[in-house]
Amino acid sequence: MNKIITGKNVVKTYGEANVLNGVNAEIAKGEFVAVMGPSGSGKSTLLFALSGMDDVSDGSVMFCDTELSSLKEHELADVRRAKMGFIFQQPTMLKNLNILDNILLPAMNAGKKDTAKLLQKAKALMKKTGIDGLENRDITEVSGGQLQRAGICRALMNEPEILFADEPTGALNSKSAEEIMDLLANLNEEGTAILLVTHDAKVAARADRILFTKDGNFVFELSLQRSSGMDMEARVEKVLAQMAAVGI
Amino acid sequence: MYSKLIKNDIRKSKLITLAVTAFILIAAMLTALAATLAVNLFGAVDNMLQVSKSVDFVQMHTGDVDMEQLRSFVSSQPSVEDFQVLPFLNIDGAEIVIGDGSLSDIAQDNGFSVQSAKFDFLLDLNNELIQPKDGEVYFPIYYMQEGAAKLGDKVVINGVEFTMAGFLRDSMMNAALTSSKRFLVSEAGLEKIRGYGQMEQLIEFRLKDGVAPSEFEAAYIGAGLPANGPPAITRMQIALMNGITDGIMIGVLALIVILVIIVAFLCIRFTLLAKIEEDYKEIGVLKAIGMRVGEIKKLYLAKYGAIGSIACALGFLLSMPLAEPFMQNIRLYMGESDRQLAALLCGLAGAAVIFGVVVLYVNGVLRRFKKISAAQAVRFGAPQEKSKSARSFRFSGIRLFSRNIFLGIKDILARKKLYVTMLTVFIISSFIMIVPQNIYNTISDKSFVTYMGMGMCDANLYIKPTQSQDVIPKANEAAGILANDADVAKYAMITTKMFDMKADDGSTRKLRISLGDHSAYPIAYSQGTAPTTESQIAISSLYADDLAKTIGDEIVLSAGGAEKRLTVCGICSDITSGGRTAQAIFDIEPGDILSVGIPVSFRAGVDANAAIARYKGQFPFAQVYGIEENIDQMFGSVIDAMKLASYAAIGIAALLTILVTALFMKMLVTKDRYSIAILKTLGFKCADIRKQYLTRSIVVLVLGVILGTVLANTLGEYVGVAILSAFGASSFNFVVNPLFAYIVSPLLIAVCVYIATMRGVSDITPLKISEHIKEA
Repeated sequence: MNKIITGKNVVKTYGEANVLNGVNAEIAKGEFVAVMGPSGSGKSTLLFALSGMDDVSDGSVMFCDTELSSLKEHELADVRRAKMGFIFQQPTMLKNLNILDNILLPAMNAGKKDTAKLLQKAKALMKKTGIDGLENRDITEVSGGQLQRAGICRALMNEPEILFADEPTGALNSKSAEEIMDLLANLNEEGTAILLVTHDAKVAARADRILFTKDGNFVFELSLQRSSGMDMEARVEKVLAQMAAVGI
Repeated sequence: MYSKLIKNDIRKSKLITLAVTAFILIAAMLTALAATLAVNLFGAVDNMLQVSKSVDFVQMHTGDVDMEQLRSFVSSQPSVEDFQVLPFLNIDGAEIVIGDGSLSDIAQDNGFSVQSAKFDFLLDLNNELIQPKDGEVYFPIYYMQEGAAKLGDKVVINGVEFTMAGFLRDSMMNAALTSSKRFLVSEAGLEKIRGYGQMEQLIEFRLKDGVAPSEFEAAYIGAGLPANGPPAITRMQIALMNGITDGIMIGVLALIVILVIIVAFLCIRFTLLAKIEEDYKEIGVLKAIGMRVGEIKKLYLAKYGAIGSIACALGFLLSMPLAEPFMQNIRLYMGESDRQLAALLCGLAGAAVIFGVVVLYVNGVLRRFKKISAAQAVRFGAPQEKSKSARSFRFSGIRLFSRNIFLGIKDILARKKLYVTMLTVFIISSFIMIVPQNIYNTISDKSFVTYMGMGMCDANLYIKPTQSQDVIPKANEAAGILANDADVAKYAMITTKMFDMKADDGSTRKLRISLGDHSAYPIAYSQGTAPTTESQIAISSLYADDLAKTIGDEIVLSAGGAEKRLTVCGICSDITSGGRTAQAIFDIEPGDILSVGIPVSFRAGVDANAAIARYKGQFPFAQVYGIEENIDQMFGSVIDAMKLASYAAIGIAALLTILVTALFMKMLVTKDRYSIAILKTLGFKCADIRKQYLTRSIVVLVLGVILGTVLANTLGEYVGVAILSAFGASSFNFVVNPLFAYIVSPLLIAVCVYIATMRGVSDITPLKISEHIKEA
């Protein structure tokens, strides 16, 4: 199996505190992995470390065959721009740009010049995520759910190989959360790998694999291969049972 | 609690606190300095005038004075407290030989006098009365600065030897701008040299308190008393001449103070608004839990109160040693001020005023707390500025700019109010950099003589009765030689005479009129033109003010027993002769000639210095000056002071630009750290983000420099006029050095902005995405 992310003995400390204690993690190309754990267990820290958004105190993180810590700042920025997409719990938008310009930003940053083509692509993504017609709205003029969808559009503009999502539905109502997760599942089916951090069993149940963290390390790995034929309800129940077993 | 909050806040933003403190400190220091110097200057002038028992009214006269007539006049004038007549023996500079040199190159009317018995005393450098021994001569303090003589030098006047015994302060003729200088010798010494110069008399009066000098002057002239010299001088003019050079320096200082205060307040406003925006949610929470607006304001006021009090105290303390070098010139020319304690208290009051204004200003800015809705603040944080222009400036519509330039410009359009601070500072920096340079260029330029009552020429010959009894024949002789000189392109003869003028109230006044072809060497007219017919007269702006005359008004002279009616055709800026001069072209009638001036222009390629040196030998009866030499001697000290001020201004402007830009950028990066983190997640390199900030700086810089340069060359001219109007130049055009004003100055500011921006945005690289992205 081709690995897109490989973390070996990843340690992250903040002052005296060890947030990650020698974590080993592998994510295959096209795989959908969820990370679950109690608050303060190091889920988000792991996501930031594996995506290269934060440096590690010890150990290594490989993106495909490239060791992220060996890259210079601008090389790391190139990897982020071309191969990675990010979605956060709160929509991270630039206040000065309207919805469309926020979505176009990564493509513009990649130096793509064909504006007509980019506009077409952005509008297609907006349609796919159900926010078409909001192109010229300010980010203060749309709902949280719509903003999160815009964030997903932006993350997809450069067709990343992997999407990192930190509690992407955490600030949404259940209907919006379900729609967003449908969207992510579709993307994954189209071949985009996803590493997602969540508290929500329903969200985690969409993944192929769930990694349970506690005190800065994985304590259990639950495989939920979609090929197993389990329906969603059964998957959620399995996740909830495991959560209880782990003590989350 | 307040001290804990203040300490925490300062710890979190050291640089910003330091910069705000620095600005308040500078503002307080300069205010205290200006106040101290102003009080000390007035004190020193006043002290010197008191100790020397300066005159209230003085009239110069060449020839005998009828003492009986004078006594009879005084006895009829209850306003006169005392009077005296002092000798003033004019000796040509070339006749005053000091060692191997002489004073021939110095454009001053040198006169020898004796110590007065009653008033108008000449003082030594301790402000004590000098009683010169036989064989001793005391030099005016002006020559100390010129380096013309030192203690113990042998001074020879036509074979009569004196020893230079010291320098003197002369309340009447101290200032460099006063064209006459008094030397002090003993009675016996004066007798020995009496035959080598022309004797003038200083007819001096001390008037009782509350007497208007103009009324006394009218009575004096009305009584037909001797008055063939220049117009009378009053105590007010004497005080003005003594204080003017240092007064201008204080004026420039005051101007800089105002600008620094503006910048300081802009910085306070910016940092405060940024802090409020940062704390918006917390302010909402504090309101929500029932804290009063006044109590919340106190949290912020406490910090600025602490910073302000420390900065103002330090500013005041620093102003004391800083005042010393400025005080040296005042002390040298006028001695110690008798108001040192008052000056110190005024300095303290100045610094305290700055503190008060800072606190009031902060309180005013904090007034917006009232408008903050607790619910809105807690839910949405600080509101965004609404901008139509920013809305229409879109990626999808604009293809002209690269992504970084686009984002930079977009930010300026979206947050215009934020950038107004920076824009204002750049405008002020350009202004501070260019205006003093323009003033310096203007007063050091050859064309500035046109404001001095002289046309643009290369050299000037002056023939005065003190040098030659037969002024007109000698002037004609010089003109004859110049007419046949192949080096000379053109010349003109201007004769200056005193006339009696009938004022509107029937009294008689003296009017100094230059007669000749004024069109050959036109001077600067603020209104109207030079006289072209015999019935026209142009007057200087100070005369226009004195006489309340304007273009088209009539001036009535009494010449040769008859009335001569002249129409005012022009008002000119003339700073010579105390700014009171007039020009006309009617024929010279017999009378008292003050001087004949012959401006000369050389042909192209002629070595002006060689020709001037030749004329000095050729015309021993005349004073010959190169125009640059003339300007240098008259305005040398002012030009030097302005040169220093203009270089200091460049330094201040550069420092201001660097400090404010670095501060602004640092704060902007702190404020924008969330947006920067987003850009980083999207794969923007640090270099890209820096380019965006540099774009913001450069766009604001270009706007600021353009506006600043335009303002400096328009509004700045008014500032220049305000400063130079003290000399009598009511209007003039700036001489702009295009290389400096349009290339060097903007480039210098641009370099400062670039360096400061790069320094200010240095926090972009270490900024970690993980630490800021969670802040949303």
